[in-house]
Amino acid sequence: MKLFAQYFPNAVTMKSDFLQATGETIYMTLFTAIIAGIIGMAIGVGLTVTQPGGILENKVVYNILDKLVNLFRSIPFVILLAVIAPVTRLIVGTAIGTTAAIVPLIIGSAPFYARQIQNALAEVDRGVIEAAEAVGSGPIAIIFRVYLKEGLADIIRSSVLTLISLIDLTAMAGAIGGGGLGNLAINVGYSRFESDVTILAMLIILVIVFAIQLCGDLLARHVDHSA
Amino acid sequence: MTKDTIIQLKDVDVTFHNKGQTVQAVKHVSLDVQRGDIYGVVGYSGAGKSTLVRVINRLQRPTAGQVIVNGQDILAMKAKDLRQARTKIGMIFQHFNLMNARTIADNVDYPLKGGKLTHAQRKEKVAKLLDLVGLSEKANDYPAQLSGGQKQRVAIARALANDPEILISDEATSALDPKTTTAILELLKQLNKDLGLTVVLITHEMEAVKEICNKVAVMEDGEIIERGDLVTIFSEPKQKLTRDFINTATQIDQALDKIYKQANALGLDDHHRLVQLKYVGASTDAPLITELFKRYQVVSNILYGNVEILQDTPLGNLVVVMAGEPDQLDQAWQYCRDAGIQVTQLNPNDSEVA
Repeated sequence: MKLFAQYFPNAVTMKSDFLQATGETIYMTLFTAIIAGIIGMAIGVGLTVTQPGGILENKVVYNILDKLVNLFRSIPFVILLAVIAPVTRLIVGTAIGTTAAIVPLIIGSAPFYARQIQNALAEVDRGVIEAAEAVGSGPIAIIFRVYLKEGLADIIRSSVLTLISLIDLTAMAGAIGGGGLGNLAINVGYSRFESDVTILAMLIILVIVFAIQLCGDLLARHVDHSA
Repeated sequence: MTKDTIIQLKDVDVTFHNKGQTVQAVKHVSLDVQRGDIYGVVGYSGAGKSTLVRVINRLQRPTAGQVIVNGQDILAMKAKDLRQARTKIGMIFQHFNLMNARTIADNVDYPLKGGKLTHAQRKEKVAKLLDLVGLSEKANDYPAQLSGGQKQRVAIARALANDPEILISDEATSALDPKTTTAILELLKQLNKDLGLTVVLITHEMEAVKEICNKVAVMEDGEIIERGDLVTIFSEPKQKLTRDFINTATQIDQALDKIYKQANALGLDDHHRLVQLKYVGASTDAPLITELFKRYQVVSNILYGNVEILQDTPLGNLVVVMAGEPDQLDQAWQYCRDAGIQVTQLNPNDSEVA
């Protein structure tokens, strides 16, 4: 503890700030992950089945989804935070604060996740889909019992990637008063020249990221029977 | 349509439009398969045979034509009825198409989910199917742990899960080594016999057809150019492509190649003629060579001999050099022809094989 105090002179006095910031980061990440996960998964599956040659081929639906995903993926997140403010106010009642940050976080990460899911499902062998069709499976059965099951290992890997990039995004939530570790690192650590605060915030984020990566890798390896 | 016609394709056309290019993969093909047939469709890749059989379970919708399976119009069916009909048409593929994330037992169980069977009945059924294909002890393994032949056996078990009456085999042995190929073909034949399964077998290997089919159709450029029962096609092929396939299968091609290469050593002239003799059925057993010598003093030197047993009918091929007086040789040939043997004089300078 003494050693810690020596290297982190300012951070050591800010225990409650760090706890709160870590809590905010985890809160934003988890909440967004659940909602953006569902939306992104739905869009990703939608893209896969409606794309040319898909089991529910539909040019109109595919093009709409495809363009929407591209559109929202091309807006820089910091700008999205500001642009989306009126919508956020409509949904959560306020445009500032941790909960308010979740709306742009969802809009920023869901399209990314959708693309990741689409890529993961593209790895599912077309022949396996055909075999399922040949034994009389309908589209719903093929989505849930073939695509999502066969693609599971890749879906887990994509989810880890998305989750990590999501933590990256939460660091910017400070711009609209969302708090979190990123906010602590910039608005306290950087602005007040207390660089030990910045470094500790970064270390905590690194620990979270490594933990997610490790769990994801183990899980993906567990469900992967392709080799 | 007779009562026993289980698959009937009428004037089927399949046209693909791709980036402004139009490809007619199947052109006006009609095909009748009788219940209990093992019907071989042979052709080189790109001949349209895979596209043609995909029409049977509507994995490929034809551009025109009619498809009747088991008395039902497949093309007029609603999606739900089509799915029901597909459970009665099993299919196996060149690359097996097993689900890697499922165990062997789970792969075989897949088509049964959502059906009428209870969990216990399904388990029993899966065990029975795995036993049928000889893979009971692999039930809890994953496909990646199996050899190619074993994977195809699992695929067969899966295809049979809903007790289909038809099994479509799309190049199912093309990715397997010769020994495994034979074993898989044996299994198909056994299923045909024991379960009365009608098999439609797509292949580019005439050997596979020779082993198990009772009928053959030869496809080229989207059309069936020749068809008939196996023995007739093998004994009297009419199209050049059919002959090519057969000669490859019986390996007479390679034999003639070697013979032609050393043609000079044979000393062929009017008194020494290179002849191919082909015979079907009983005439195989007659002591022909001895008879020719006794009657016409013609000496026959056998360079190559092959007998295929197709559907229990022997089909023989002999390449001999016949030596004797020219008029005696002519008489000997006439004798052969009268006995139902095809006689063809071969010319080493002409590579066309009869």
